[in-house]
Amino acid sequence: MEPPKIWREKRGKYLAMGVECSDCMIKQFPFTEKCSACGSENVKEYKLATTGKVLHFSTVTQTTDEMMGSTPYLIAIIELDDGIKVTGQIVDCNLNEAKEGMDVRMVFRVLARNGSEGLIRYGYKFAPI
Amino acid sequence: MNKVGIVSFGSYIPRYRIKIEEIAKVWDEDPIEIKAQSQINSKSVPGPDEDVATMAVESARNAISRWKGKEKDLGAIYVGSESHPYVVKPTATIVAAALDVEKSLTAADLEFACKAGTAGMQMCFGLVKSKMISLGLAIGADSSQGRPRDPLEYTVGAGSAAFLIGSENIIAELEGTYSVTTDMPDFWRREGAVYPSHGVRFTGQPAYFKHTIDSSKGLMEELGTKTSDYQHVIFHQPNAKFPQAVARMLGFSKEQVELGLICKQMGNAYSASSILGFANVLNHANPGDQILLTSYGSGAGSDSFSFTITEAIDNIRPYKYDTQYYLNQCEYIEYGKYVRFKGILR
Amino acid sequence: MVKRNVFIIGTGITGFGENYEISAGKLASKALTRAIENTKITKESVQSTFIGSLVSGSNSQPSIGANCLRESHIKTPHVRIEAGNASGAAAFHQAYLGILSGVFDCIAVVGVEKLSDFVNAGIVERILSSTIDYQWEFEMGATLTSLYAILTKAHMKEFQTTKEQLAAVPVKNHKNGVNNPNAQFRKEISIERFLNAKRIAEPIGKFDPATYCDGSASVILASEKFILQNKDISSKVPILGSSYASDSLALHHRKLLTELNASKTAAATAYKMADIKPVDINVAEVHDSYPIGEILAIEDLGFFKKGEGGKAVEEGLTEQNGKVSINTSGGLKARGDPFGATGIAQIIEIVEQMRREAGKRQVDSVNYGLTQNVMGTGALTYVNILGEEEVKK
Repeated sequence: MEPPKIWREKRGKYLAMGVECSDCMIKQFPFTEKCSACGSENVKEYKLATTGKVLHFSTVTQTTDEMMGSTPYLIAIIELDDGIKVTGQIVDCNLNEAKEGMDVRMVFRVLARNGSEGLIRYGYKFAPI
Repeated sequence: MNKVGIVSFGSYIPRYRIKIEEIAKVWDEDPIEIKAQSQINSKSVPGPDEDVATMAVESARNAISRWKGKEKDLGAIYVGSESHPYVVKPTATIVAAALDVEKSLTAADLEFACKAGTAGMQMCFGLVKSKMISLGLAIGADSSQGRPRDPLEYTVGAGSAAFLIGSENIIAELEGTYSVTTDMPDFWRREGAVYPSHGVRFTGQPAYFKHTIDSSKGLMEELGTKTSDYQHVIFHQPNAKFPQAVARMLGFSKEQVELGLICKQMGNAYSASSILGFANVLNHANPGDQILLTSYGSGAGSDSFSFTITEAIDNIRPYKYDTQYYLNQCEYIEYGKYVRFKGILR
Repeated sequence: MVKRNVFIIGTGITGFGENYEISAGKLASKALTRAIENTKITKESVQSTFIGSLVSGSNSQPSIGANCLRESHIKTPHVRIEAGNASGAAAFHQAYLGILSGVFDCIAVVGVEKLSDFVNAGIVERILSSTIDYQWEFEMGATLTSLYAILTKAHMKEFQTTKEQLAAVPVKNHKNGVNNPNAQFRKEISIERFLNAKRIAEPIGKFDPATYCDGSASVILASEKFILQNKDISSKVPILGSSYASDSLALHHRKLLTELNASKTAAATAYKMADIKPVDINVAEVHDSYPIGEILAIEDLGFFKKGEGGKAVEEGLTEQNGKVSINTSGGLKARGDPFGATGIAQIIEIVEQMRREAGKRQVDSVNYGLTQNVMGTGALTYVNILGEEEVKK
């Protein structure tokens, strides 16, 4: 887990900070310096909606060491209230309780721990409302 | 004199709980006897992806989202805990980034056993009152450690409480604060040690009781208040018996202690213990109510505070994700899952 | 329609499976040497070597071509091409362009992967994480398997595709694999075994994904001119179409999860190049790393209507000599999936079919064959169309 990378990505991972184009007004995530719709560089930071709905979900039982601590866990594609879609885990929810269409809100959790001496990566996940 | 006080607050308690019976089963102990000693029925357990930083952020976000002020005004963040995820690298900076309030502010992690949260509150009160900052954030959070089979294993929980401290739109005005501090080897954890050690019965009378009582009395004497002036009183809650006994000794009634006594369902969340009780009181108290809060941290010291609730409190209530919400959200887990979540299985 | 000027003149492949004794470079060298022997040309005739590989093995030698060529005692310029699980097809496509452009007349393409060194849990998941959106899918907790589970559920929901139809894919492929001497698994597996297995990511069961393994495959590409100059070359299989297309890396950025748009786009171009229609394809090797992969493929490549892929497999329309023979080699599922080698192994299967050298796996009609190699959840797809072997005059 590389320190500069953790540092560089904190606004995206901690705050779900995307971008809004000041010309075509399209909102997008992740952050980009150029609008993906119209190419304008006239973009400003935009914080994604913190509530949304589960569109699709599945479970993860096997992954890399740094994320194995939480397995099995739920992973989902969430459509936020502003229409932006993101991938994130559903927490505080039993595996058999997840449903498509379920309302969720963004929470702050540990995404991965690099062993017991390395860095901890934090970021957004989703909890049922 | 300019006024200072709490302008908003937030709570967080993890969803998982383990019952005393479930732990007692593992060690072949009598759960009835254990519950009679602590009067704690279950304790909160952080999920595998939770730690002091995540709990601190959740409580702080609750404090901010129920409130109408500007978090960009934050001039200080203090996070008190004895289980910071990093020994070196502050939790407070993670909180600052997660609240999007980097960077012109001061921040630090504090440790004073179970009273590091109130220590942060005092620091914020001082900074706001002296006008060095206009708004401060004090958090007490812990993912408490208790050695397997130790009496602590039955009682230590997890949670976080966050307080925004300022001088405008105060919801609980500070009337005074008073502390006592002595050097007291009642409870400790050495650098690198996983679990704290303690002096068993020595943690009681000369430690918890002496400091809590002296500090509470000291504040009331200084302010000229008496026990009957307070509608609610909150003490540190290593178990449910100690705060009730202290209340009795000081002359408070059962009713005065009740609302702030939340450890029966979630255990002792160390730095968050007394202040989560305080947060629960703030969710229910009426304007005009006077509240006495006294923390206790081993090692040892107590911080006492006297507050008066103002009309402004109804501007930030009701709020869905209050203390009661988290107390109600609970899923009981078995001991196997508990040791996995706590990282005891390696 | 593109001029027929690029041909496959030789193939070489190693057995796929666990090959603990041998390094990635040696593995690649075996396939390359066999391919050169198969063409009956001299080593010196090879002008360049294109290597497709996702990770190149545990000795961290990204420029795996150097190791491969040292082992083979061949001196050519070499380049490693990486396109995730589609690295083999990517290297093949670049070689095709190299000859089509007239810069080269003879190129060796080698696909190789050595995955059995990664015995610790989680390492292959990390390798595969590079084929999905690393920052916004993988680091947020998703894995390739969980995303394929989402694709599977989307198809099941939209088209009532059943678990039985999905399981029919690996059942058929294992049946085909019995006849492939290079396959990792040469045993039929009952549908119950798939249906009753523990779910690793609902609805994906434990035995549904293809197994990653070691393996290498190589083909030699040459121009018409080169073939005329080398009298010993006895076989040439024309490349009639070769294309690739991309889609957004993250599933959450796609409008539809019931298709892999990159497959449709790449196929449309390849069909146009070959001037044929999907119905003209007799045999195809498609990316069945998960059962839904094959169902999406046979729909997106135009063999069956959207939504009818599951039914088609269940009804046997994709069996050997069915409406279109799919994965006669056993596919990734039975052959094993050494990522970079897979795309080339697919091409070799079609070459053998086009040469009528596929033995028990041989299909009756061999006018056209197709390969489809997918990276991740379809962020890149390569499609190639080969024609029947042209016997040298």
